[in-house]
Amino acid sequence: MLAFLGRSLIQKIITLFFVSVVSFLIIHLAPGEPSQIDPLNPKFTPEMVERMRQEFHLDRPMHVQYALFYRDLFSGRIVSWRDNLPVLGKIWERFLNSLPLFIVGTLLTWTFSFPVGIRSAIRRDGLFDKSTTFLAYVLISIPGFFFAYILIILVVTQFHVPVIGMYSFGIDTAPPLVRFMDRIWHLVLPSVLGATGGIAVLSRYVRSQMLEIIGQDYVRTARAKGLPNDTVYYRHALRNALLPFVTMFGLILPGLIGGSVIIESIFSWPGMGRMAYEAILARDYPVILTLNFITAVLVLAGTLISDLLYMVVDPRIRL
Amino acid sequence: MTIRRFLIAAPTLVTLVLLISYFWVPSYEEQAVGNPERMTRFITASSGDASMLNPILSADSASSQIGMLVFEGLIDRDEHLQFRGRIAHSWRISAKAYFYVNPQAVTPRWGSVEGPALVAALREAITRDDSFWNNITAIDLMPAEPFTHSAPKSGSDATATVSLHAQPPARIQLTLDNVDPTLFETLATELGPDYFDTFDPVPYVTADPVVSDEQLATLARQALPATTQNPIIEFHLRPGVTFHDGHPVTAEDVRFTYEAIMNPRNLSPRLPDYEPVQAVEVIDPMTVRIVYSRLYSPALGTWNMGILPAHRLNDDALRAEALARGADPDTYGMRQSLFNRRPIGSGPFRFDEWKSDQFIRLDRFDDYWEGPAHYQQYVMRIIPDSLTQEMEFYAGTVDDYGVQPHQVDRLSQDERFQSFSGTSFGYSYIGYNTRRPPFDDPRVRRALGMAIDTQRIIDFVLYGQGERITGPFVKQTDFYNQAIEPLPFDPQAALALLAEAGWERGSDGYLQKNGRRMAFTLITNNGNPIRRAILAIAQDAWKKIGIQVETDLLEWSVFIQRRVNQLDFDALVLGWSMGIDPDLFQIWHSSQSDPFQLNFVGFNDPEADDLILRIRREYDHDKQVAYCHRLHEIIADAQPYTFLFVSRWTALLDRRIVRQIQTPDGRMVYKPIEPTITGGYTYHFNQWIKLPQAPDFDL
Repeated sequence: MLAFLGRSLIQKIITLFFVSVVSFLIIHLAPGEPSQIDPLNPKFTPEMVERMRQEFHLDRPMHVQYALFYRDLFSGRIVSWRDNLPVLGKIWERFLNSLPLFIVGTLLTWTFSFPVGIRSAIRRDGLFDKSTTFLAYVLISIPGFFFAYILIILVVTQFHVPVIGMYSFGIDTAPPLVRFMDRIWHLVLPSVLGATGGIAVLSRYVRSQMLEIIGQDYVRTARAKGLPNDTVYYRHALRNALLPFVTMFGLILPGLIGGSVIIESIFSWPGMGRMAYEAILARDYPVILTLNFITAVLVLAGTLISDLLYMVVDPRIRL
Repeated sequence: MTIRRFLIAAPTLVTLVLLISYFWVPSYEEQAVGNPERMTRFITASSGDASMLNPILSADSASSQIGMLVFEGLIDRDEHLQFRGRIAHSWRISAKAYFYVNPQAVTPRWGSVEGPALVAALREAITRDDSFWNNITAIDLMPAEPFTHSAPKSGSDATATVSLHAQPPARIQLTLDNVDPTLFETLATELGPDYFDTFDPVPYVTADPVVSDEQLATLARQALPATTQNPIIEFHLRPGVTFHDGHPVTAEDVRFTYEAIMNPRNLSPRLPDYEPVQAVEVIDPMTVRIVYSRLYSPALGTWNMGILPAHRLNDDALRAEALARGADPDTYGMRQSLFNRRPIGSGPFRFDEWKSDQFIRLDRFDDYWEGPAHYQQYVMRIIPDSLTQEMEFYAGTVDDYGVQPHQVDRLSQDERFQSFSGTSFGYSYIGYNTRRPPFDDPRVRRALGMAIDTQRIIDFVLYGQGERITGPFVKQTDFYNQAIEPLPFDPQAALALLAEAGWERGSDGYLQKNGRRMAFTLITNNGNPIRRAILAIAQDAWKKIGIQVETDLLEWSVFIQRRVNQLDFDALVLGWSMGIDPDLFQIWHSSQSDPFQLNFVGFNDPEADDLILRIRREYDHDKQVAYCHRLHEIIADAQPYTFLFVSRWTALLDRRIVRQIQTPDGRMVYKPIEPTITGGYTYHFNQWIKLPQAPDFDL
């Protein structure tokens, strides 16, 4: 067990190093310059552009830039080129904004997928199963941004209520209950949109997992004992079907930081995904690289947690 | 079975909690329900966040929009584009001119004269009743004082400097009431046509270390120019204007703002505007004098720059801030200062809060010298997506909305909103690399322009929301020459012009000259659907008259750095946005046509060059207009660009927003908001107010 942990940690640190090198190279080799250095601004002279490049160390050799960047990152001094604010503080602020969206989205995904998937499995090939299968494929194949726009236009033109942002703008002087309810309302559309894809996919998984388990011998045995259907399905079958989903919990970790670029942009939700997107457009290298690094750490941590969780819930597995 | 019940109850509960919140949300019609303060706030939307709320450091539109409310300049332009005083209540433009007494020259009237005699003779001349001499109020002989001038040494070692010790001859100072760009030309008729040209500064200087004769002559001319005219602007500041922290705005703040722009550590993008300034002199706390080293007519307009509070940003303040934040005071500059996140100015709104990528909120400044604005708050929301902006506008959480061209017909008729429209300060064009054949022939460029049906581009690509343009000036200003007709769409005439230039149709249907086919590539940047459409339309139009055209869409940075800056293109589709000032030096002067400069089409016309410099030096508006009209004509004749269109914008505003004006007898009257000559509708923003019901102005 400890040997596995140690081995795994070393492997992951090596992977992390390569990720950091490759992402650094990709970002610096891509054409373009930080937005502060705009060569087409009629008022910029080449000397001024050169001075800015020096300011940002862009004139130093690549390996020196790499060292300077990671020195600043690990000492927490790294600042965004766009507004000179500390990157880690910015990320934390955005993370707190993305968190409610992530929690409600996850809640919707997991609470809806199980009943839908289980029922489809129990009533296999029935009307419910067929229609949810159809709906799932529609939801999987519909582009998220398109669906988002349709929903927004429908709600806004029908009800004339705001749906964009974290709250109705200008409501900050209203009583607390109004403000709280308003915030909840603003979570509805983005989290539903964020969850639709997840529900469609996850309920398919649940269905196929249940179907597989229902076909097992021990389920037939339970039925033969004369147990009621509910007990068979929800106690004997469901518990065993849950096994693979436990590990999926570890894998949603990176989604926390990645957020959803598209949904956050459409709803102008000041979350992590939108920050990453804007940093890329502005070529704000410190923000892009820091986010990249944190995501890499989370992906690696997620896989580790999955491995460990699996071991905990399934006693047959020994690492 | 509990598990089963739980599995059904959980999603139902989550859904219910989410949906029940609907009943607390405000709607467009009932914005004030549960939140009456909504009516006292103006909320607008911007597609990008501001970068730094410091007018000398930022150049993006969101930062300037906020900057214009938080900061205030010495002057600005009123609704008729005339200058009006803001922090300055009045100003005067005068000049001082200098020339060295030239002992070699022989004047036709007085023969060879020494300094004192010349001064006496000129003093006599200014008593003549003549507008030229009346303009000169004083003539003085300046004592000859030795000075040292250091200049970078040219050649291999770029860092070395040369010290120039000068023992100049006597110099004569003329004090002028008004700037006179032709002063020395007119004086030359009195003093002899060669009086200024034959002044040889070399005998008066010695160089240390010794340099070549040629270089010495160049340096001497720099240090001792035969003639100089220094325009002077004297601003008288308005008493009682304060910054938002209560500190009065004084001449020291003006000088500080200038010095901050010039400070190389601040990397101010505004620096080129102030480069001709020689000195900013504080005469007394309410008077500041700006002396320019040369004639520079855009000078006055540059003082709309927001004035910074010196007491917040000077070296002491920055040092204290650096120490408080634990930063190194030696590397801590204005760019690092927290001031850029929470600025203090003297404008009608004071800064309140800025949440990155969410909003910037301003509160009204109650002590504003012109009286406080009616709105309590101004909020700029950051909404990158235009559909989202539209939806927020419909839901009543944004008060104005810039309409997309295809929506204009529908929305400008909508009962719920009031709408405004105008032409923008910029134009789209196809630029030709005039260094390369076949574009080196103006007939070819004209023919290419005539082959494209620009009106159809406006009708179908812009949904009619655009106007033809024929030259490089802002169409609403009088600098624009309205007499020039746009190129007609006439492919037959285009073919005739091309035939005149030697291009004939070959057997394969393509135009040929000396056995070579006319073929080139038209490029533009990716991500702009209108430019992409122009690319396809131009390609098709040119193909029809037998030109082989390839097109290419390039990512913005590649487009600029690899193609435009390196002058590596045949023809391109691009746009310029412009200011009101008619200074065309950077884009049209032939000295600006090297790589990395903005005259990338290589336009080169001696008369145009001369006019561009004259426009820069002319302080008289009517003369400037005349020069601009001629320059416009030259550029329209040469067609280095095919000028396409200026786009029209349309904006919607909640119908309940009106102007509230107090009449002299103390009554409040409401007036509809009307756009000004430039089409801007926010000019009277401080008088705006939102009413619970839209008033009926027809009564």
